[in-house]
Amino acid sequence: MVFNSLTFVLFFAIVLGLHSLPLSWTTKKINLLIASYLFYAAWNPPFILLLWISTAVDWWAANRIAEASNPVRRRAWMLLSVIANLGMLGWFKYGSFLLANFQTAVALLGIDYQPPKYSIVLPVGISFYTFATMSYTLDVYLRRAQPTRSLLDFGLFVTFFPHLVAGPIMRPTELVPQFAEPKRASSDGLFFGLALMSLGLFQKVVLADGFLARPAELVFDGAKAPGVLDAWLGTLAFSGQIFCDFAGYSTTAIGAALCLGFKMPDNFRFPYAAIGFSDFWRRWHITLSSWLRDYLYIPLGGNRHGEARALRALMLTMLLGGLWHGASWTFVVWGGLHGLYLCVERGLRRRYAHWRPGPVAQIALGLLTYTLVNVAWVFFRASSFSKAWSVLAGMFGANTDAAPILAAGHIAAVSLIVAALVMTHWLMRDRTLESLLARTPAPVLTGAWAAMVFAIMIEQGAGNAFIYFQF
Amino acid sequence: MPSSTSSSERLTAADRPGVAQPVPERPLPPRPWRAMGTMVILLVVLAISAWEWRMRELGLRAGDFDDGASLWAEQRRRVDAEATPVVLLGDSRLLFDTDLARFQTLTGVRPLQLALAGTNARPFLRNLADDPAFHGLALVGIKELSYFRDGIGLSGDALERFRYESPAQHISFVLHGGLSRCLAFLDEEYRLSKLLLRLDPGLRPGAQSPYGDVWKLRSTEMDRQTRMWSRVASDALLNAHARSVWMRRPAAQISDALIARTVQETREAVAAIRARGGEVVFLRPPSAGELRKKEEAELPRQRGWDALLRGAQVSGIHADDDPPQSGLDLPELSHLSAACATVYTDAYVRAVTRVTERLALRADAPAPLTAADCVATAR
Repeated sequence: MVFNSLTFVLFFAIVLGLHSLPLSWTTKKINLLIASYLFYAAWNPPFILLLWISTAVDWWAANRIAEASNPVRRRAWMLLSVIANLGMLGWFKYGSFLLANFQTAVALLGIDYQPPKYSIVLPVGISFYTFATMSYTLDVYLRRAQPTRSLLDFGLFVTFFPHLVAGPIMRPTELVPQFAEPKRASSDGLFFGLALMSLGLFQKVVLADGFLARPAELVFDGAKAPGVLDAWLGTLAFSGQIFCDFAGYSTTAIGAALCLGFKMPDNFRFPYAAIGFSDFWRRWHITLSSWLRDYLYIPLGGNRHGEARALRALMLTMLLGGLWHGASWTFVVWGGLHGLYLCVERGLRRRYAHWRPGPVAQIALGLLTYTLVNVAWVFFRASSFSKAWSVLAGMFGANTDAAPILAAGHIAAVSLIVAALVMTHWLMRDRTLESLLARTPAPVLTGAWAAMVFAIMIEQGAGNAFIYFQF
Repeated sequence: MPSSTSSSERLTAADRPGVAQPVPERPLPPRPWRAMGTMVILLVVLAISAWEWRMRELGLRAGDFDDGASLWAEQRRRVDAEATPVVLLGDSRLLFDTDLARFQTLTGVRPLQLALAGTNARPFLRNLADDPAFHGLALVGIKELSYFRDGIGLSGDALERFRYESPAQHISFVLHGGLSRCLAFLDEEYRLSKLLLRLDPGLRPGAQSPYGDVWKLRSTEMDRQTRMWSRVASDALLNAHARSVWMRRPAAQISDALIARTVQETREAVAAIRARGGEVVFLRPPSAGELRKKEEAELPRQRGWDALLRGAQVSGIHADDDPPQSGLDLPELSHLSAACATVYTDAYVRAVTRVTERLALRADAPAPLTAADCVATAR
């Protein structure tokens, strides 16, 4: 189920009620485990089997790794886990994509291969929970963590509903220790969690779905080639939409966990205030970028084997990071562009190592970063390369005879929201939300909180899925 | 140690490469959260009460349901669960223009309303043709420009929802239905973003402003009994807006190939239904004034309606051909007022009984209605 649905409101009220009953901690954990399975089954019940397979394989493999003293055996158990998880991900997420590319490749050789028709339904959130469970086996293999002794705790780590389908991608060392002792939010903690959920849902329901999704759709999904204004505003709308959608999900998830007494990590840190791309990736989808760094970039050699290998590892990591987002070459290009940005930035940092930008230069570099991030978003949002080129052509003034697409209302909404978003990020770039809340007078917070809840309710929302569910 | 780019106030996984990540920090800001939360609940209740009052002032009513994919899918599932004698397919015209109660009074049968606003009936007819559970009579109401096109239109998700509705979607549908019985403001057409974006009357020439979208036209009950929203008939602005939307729509280009394809697909679907003992009758509900002329210019009756009946070898009743279906009140030229929908239903049901034996009038059926009864039957 999605957070922005009435089903979730009912579900969460029941979960909170059960969690506050005077039951043993083990019983409460079982309740949470069952609730998490129900949360997932609410999309498509048979896919619970995948969760069970993931849980069983990684539990078993991690225990075997811990018991094994022979490095070859340890490696073999680790590979079993990786192959099982990536195999499942590959089949469900990339099966059709691989087959279509194979068909195209053999066609180039003059072979007319017609694959059998089959339809694969993508289990929601599979990319997230396979990465979470793999991090468990990999941490045990890398001796960063001991295997947990409790299958219940491990099962709950994999399925804990706030992070199950769209992250933050949690590591076992972040969550499993929290299951050791009883957790229950204080009344202040509960209301703070609810406030974070309100903020997250406001971002998703009101800003992303209510005001930003439609302009992005009109530019990226319409038949018209956009002119300069429409192409930029459509892309800016998407940059705001995807942030409000995904950061909104993460904030709601963090708030839901807090209501139950659990802590989840930051997934975003005001990314549109980034100065440079290494900074951007320390602020955007932090739990994915750090996962890729720890389990892909560093094992590929990281920056330990010279500049050439570091750049190669960086590009490979970003290309695979792009592919993680979706089975399409447009996502690979998006990842490749970010890889390229990072490589160029790395070169510039080496060349101008002693330069310290002043405030004006920082703002200029921040705007340049945001502009280039937007250029990359075009490939992320466009459903095809032809559409991406059409929007890019519009952004750089090549669609000279383009007819207007966005109405004045859309232009005003996108301009206001995106400008406010970027300015907020800039003002908050070295702060946390909590520190801002601690300094803001209670009446102001109360008014803002009530206004957000009111706006969510009168916007109503259509229970639209979060963008990242498809990844 | 924090990097030069990290928040100085809290580290994240981005600051700790290649190590086990610790339990996250999540400090509770020192604010009176419980008192604030209580005040928020109070303020929201007050604000929502005021909003509800305002929406009722604007004519919204509790018990007017969102005619979404789940509501349609629920009705569609009844075709498989019950021996459904009559099913209505089509677009907004048959949807608005049918009074299910009058239909039942005349025939003893309450049909299933499966017409969908802004949607091509053809894929739905095909879906019914492919359903072995259906052996009844399908009445297909068409507006030519909806039916003679390739796209499915606004409600393509309805068929998908019928094929698979997740437990979460169904529970949300049930809960939303329960709330809609009590709250008037839960209306898709009066959500915050729509209200704000419609403040732009079209300031940018050439761009499609949300102001020019279709506004609220109908009210819907739980069994999809749909009527024109009373304010569309009584409010000059809403009425003029609806008319202008229909009249400003760009003229459709309907090729001979598209017509041939439409006829062919219809013939196949009708044949499949007949092979199981079912029957199909087409209806062409009325439209009026300049809109009727526009529609005729875009697809003359001879090329569209007549060719369809002839090519698909199917019976049809055109409102222009049946005097009791003429002269009714179409406030915005495209749909009948709620009162006249009853009169139109009375007329077309009687006409259908004359072209097929699959539907018959009850022995105690009331006397026919006329245009004069529109006022008398007004709700």
